[in-house]
Amino acid sequence: MSGPGVAWYIAIAGFLFGIGALGVLIRRNPLIVLLSLELMLNSANLALIAFARHFHNGAGQVFALAVMAVAASEVCVGLGLVVALNRKRLRLDVDSLSELRG
Amino acid sequence: MTGGAWLCLAAPLGGTIAILLCGTRIPRAAAGWISTSSVAVAFAGAIWAFFGVHSQSRPQIIGFGNALPQRGELTTAWTWLQSATGHHVFSVGLQLLVDPLSAVMMLIVSGVGMLIVLYSVGYMDGDDEERRYFAYISFFVFSMLLLVEGGNLLLLLVGWGLVGLSSYLLIGFWHERPSAVQAAKKAFVMNAVGDATMALAFFILIAHTHSLSFGVLSVHLSSTETSLVALGLLGGAVAKSAQIPLQTWLPDAMEGPTPVSALIHAATMVTAGVYLIARTHAIFEQARTVELIAAGTGALTLLVAGLIALVQTDIKRVIAYSTMSQIGYMFLGVGVGAYSAGMFHLLTHAFFKALLFMAAGLVIHAVANEQDIRKLRGVGKLMPFTKWCFLAGALALVGIPPFSGFFSKDSIVASAAALGTWYGWIFWVCGVLGALLTGLYTFRLWFLVFPGEPSPFVREHYHDDHHGREGAWTMLVPVGILALLATFGGWLQWAPKWHPFTSWLAPAAPTLAAAAPTSTQEYFTSAATVIAGLAGIAIAWAVYSEQRLAIPAAPFLRRTFEHKFWFDELYDAVFYRPAAALAGVLFREFEEPVVLQTGPDLGETTLAAGDLMRRIQTGLLRTYVLFLAGGAAAVVLAFLIVR
Repeated sequence: MSGPGVAWYIAIAGFLFGIGALGVLIRRNPLIVLLSLELMLNSANLALIAFARHFHNGAGQVFALAVMAVAASEVCVGLGLVVALNRKRLRLDVDSLSELRG
Repeated sequence: MTGGAWLCLAAPLGGTIAILLCGTRIPRAAAGWISTSSVAVAFAGAIWAFFGVHSQSRPQIIGFGNALPQRGELTTAWTWLQSATGHHVFSVGLQLLVDPLSAVMMLIVSGVGMLIVLYSVGYMDGDDEERRYFAYISFFVFSMLLLVEGGNLLLLLVGWGLVGLSSYLLIGFWHERPSAVQAAKKAFVMNAVGDATMALAFFILIAHTHSLSFGVLSVHLSSTETSLVALGLLGGAVAKSAQIPLQTWLPDAMEGPTPVSALIHAATMVTAGVYLIARTHAIFEQARTVELIAAGTGALTLLVAGLIALVQTDIKRVIAYSTMSQIGYMFLGVGVGAYSAGMFHLLTHAFFKALLFMAAGLVIHAVANEQDIRKLRGVGKLMPFTKWCFLAGALALVGIPPFSGFFSKDSIVASAAALGTWYGWIFWVCGVLGALLTGLYTFRLWFLVFPGEPSPFVREHYHDDHHGREGAWTMLVPVGILALLATFGGWLQWAPKWHPFTSWLAPAAPTLAAAAPTSTQEYFTSAATVIAGLAGIAIAWAVYSEQRLAIPAAPFLRRTFEHKFWFDELYDAVFYRPAAALAGVLFREFEEPVVLQTGPDLGETTLAAGDLMRRIQTGLLRTYVLFLAGGAAAVVLAFLIVR
């Protein structure tokens, strides 16, 4: 088996996760927030695959498939919410949606 | 014979249950008749049991020669309690004992009980809650029969507790009167003291003999244990029988209806202490000092109660103190070891004291519930039947021959003389002085209430039963029967000449040899007590009828008697006030600052914490993500550091 060591993959995955988390934290547009979430999930997938290869264990790949399914459903719900917001002609801004304030 | 015992026990309980189940579906009077007939069935059962024991005896006397025949039978329905510690098995059966002693008690309880319940039919007629009354009184008869028939100490204690309960219920029967409720409470609490000491005695017995059957009482325990057990039993007897120092509840118990006073607080329940000592005489004989303490208690009580009775103004309270005094005689009798003399006085006392109470009840009923003897002067002229019956009871109480008290009381005093020791003679003097006091207070009552011209109060309030009679026939018949029994009942036994009663009880409770008086002592004592009684009557006649003698002023003595020797005040100061003060202090220092403050404090803390938590609920998605990310980072850091 050749190619870069597992540390490189983990570094990239961590970098991608950081970008995603930062996006979720500082962006207000729900579409961008969803995009950033996808980025985080995929960074996790990258880490899983990398470890699967490193340990010669197929379980990580199975997990990655499951994460993809979860990501797809999550995007469905998220986009549905965005469409619903648009229908009600509300601003596309996550900060304005604070009805559950204590 | 055991069939009779079970019938005797079950019938009154059946009566209670029937009255309870029928409720308002039956007329009020029917409850009274159910109750009366159930007690009559119990009486039939008692007679059956009595003749069972009677017929059992003869062949065995022949077989045993001079030895005391074993008479009686123990019948066990089923094992009630069972427990084992190590290799000892402690087991108590639901068992009844029919022997000469319990047969006599069964006859007294159900026989006198039947007459008194019949009297209640007339006395309680028209009361709002007649059915409740009759349910209670049948239940009392059941409990009392359980007490006397119980075949082991635990069943005896069950009956002991249940008579306390029914006494409580019946004293407080007129629950709309605060004084009746107070009196019921007082009786219950005072009795609870005695129940507790009895239970402690039983614990000692269980610990050392692993049994509560009557048979273990003659097993040899160490002398300390024996004394403790005897003292515990004596405590129970003293509380139930209203002897010093637990006597204060009995006069207050007169708040109950008069038939209750006659049945529970004169004829049966209060004499249970005497029965207890006679039943457990084996243990008392091993602890002779405690037995003599019982006799001393009786001697003291008979004098103190007689003195207090001299100044009472309530007709029922005079008789109540007289009951205390007569039970003092019985304690004296069983305490010196003359069990049959004590039990014989119990029998005659049941007759004449029930008679006195019920005759007083007739008077009270006829003059608008007035009980103050100063207002009742001359009532005898309007109520001749009551007057003569009361006189029979009074003469029996004083012990004038040939009335029944003469035969029973003199034997007790004579057996004190038979001891021959210095305390025996003190008891003897107390007994004779008691006879003087009995004559005095009894005939004070008699001269104040019955003879002479009716007072204006009596003239104004007297009413007959609308048929020209002094009361309903249900009330007059029992009084008449009891008057006959009070007059002739004592002829059963005259100790110097014939003593069937003593021989009858001998298998169950033989008189101690030390307490068996000679004929000379009997005659001598009889002469002394009769003279003392007559002297008492003569003084009462001179003071209250002829008014030749003035009552001595002696204000201090008078106040002492009127305050009942300050026992109530003493208990108030020693027990009630410190307890109330302690409760007050605890309320101020502990309850108010700690208990009452904890709840509000808890609430306020929770509210404040909630306020704090509300601040971080911003509703902003990004805040939550931040917390989430922060939390995850913290977990990762923690793992890195701990590793």
